[in-house]
Amino acid sequence: MVIAMVRTILLYLIIIAGIRLMGKRQIGELEPSELVLALLIADLAAVPMQDFGIPLLTGLLPILTLLCLTMALSVLTMKSIKFRAILCGRPSIIVKDGVPLKREMQKNRFTLDELMEELRMNGITDLATVHYAILETNGQLSVLPYAVHQPPSAHTLKMNPQEPGLPAVLINDGRIMTRALHLRGLDEAWLYQQLHQRNIREARDVFLLTVDERNQIYLVEQEGRQ
Amino acid sequence: MKRLWIALGLLALLLLLTICHTHSLQHFTNHLTGQLEEAETLVQQEQWEQARQLTQSALDTWNRQDIRLHVLLRHADTDQIHAGFQEVLALLNSREYGEYAAANARLISQLHLLSEAEQLNLKNIL
Repeated sequence: MVIAMVRTILLYLIIIAGIRLMGKRQIGELEPSELVLALLIADLAAVPMQDFGIPLLTGLLPILTLLCLTMALSVLTMKSIKFRAILCGRPSIIVKDGVPLKREMQKNRFTLDELMEELRMNGITDLATVHYAILETNGQLSVLPYAVHQPPSAHTLKMNPQEPGLPAVLINDGRIMTRALHLRGLDEAWLYQQLHQRNIREARDVFLLTVDERNQIYLVEQEGRQ
Repeated sequence: MKRLWIALGLLALLLLLTICHTHSLQHFTNHLTGQLEEAETLVQQEQWEQARQLTQSALDTWNRQDIRLHVLLRHADTDQIHAGFQEVLALLNSREYGEYAAANARLISQLHLLSEAEQLNLKNIL
């Protein structure tokens, strides 16, 4: 048992180091320690599940060890910036002023094809319009175009649109969401009044009804209803 | 920070429990092999009945720990040792010294290996 525990700790740390060396592209939204945990736990659980000749503890002990290690590492990454940089890495600037930085790309095993693909996914086809492209520690690429190439916002256009707020679903496939209705400070009488105004008699005739914070209604009737 | 101490505390507890298990297993197998070696000495002195009683006592000791051993060790290893005890007892009843000595040595070796595999050393870790 103690051998299983020591081996688990060693392999966990070795795999984390391996993942870090592989570069950020391999991670995909998880921290290296979380990714390794996800990779290992499934396998560890499967062994005693399939082989009845192995005690359950043989699987449970390494899983418990991994959970404790992950919890400890996660607290340490929260507390120490230096430790976080070691474990998770730092964001890398891949494109600066429209120019891809070859050395940084090589360091992160990031090819030009992948860069162009990520830019297209961000709606950018011309590399020259990119001010900065930053490869984040979770493997995602953040693209910041030059200000002149950024889509205009209401603020830049000096407009003052009203905030609709968060819409709440009040009828979901014919069912009234009573809790959401009451949270909005509304009641069923109000809801039926709105339905009757739209020539709908029953809530079951509605597929979706949402209301925003200004009590504006979005309604979709059930299919096949006249 | 509390979560860090909980995680480290749990890790330390797990490590302590596994080390305790290793020591207890070594002590347990040493006790059994001692009894088996003593039984062989008795056989060499033609005291077959006393040797059989001693081996039976070792088997009873093993059986009393059966659940713990099944929970902590590979079932194939514990089953093999249990079968080894049965074989040694059968050979003691038939009073075949040569075969008994070989089976007893095999059983002692299996007990040693069982404990050896759980020891915390570089050979086992690697």
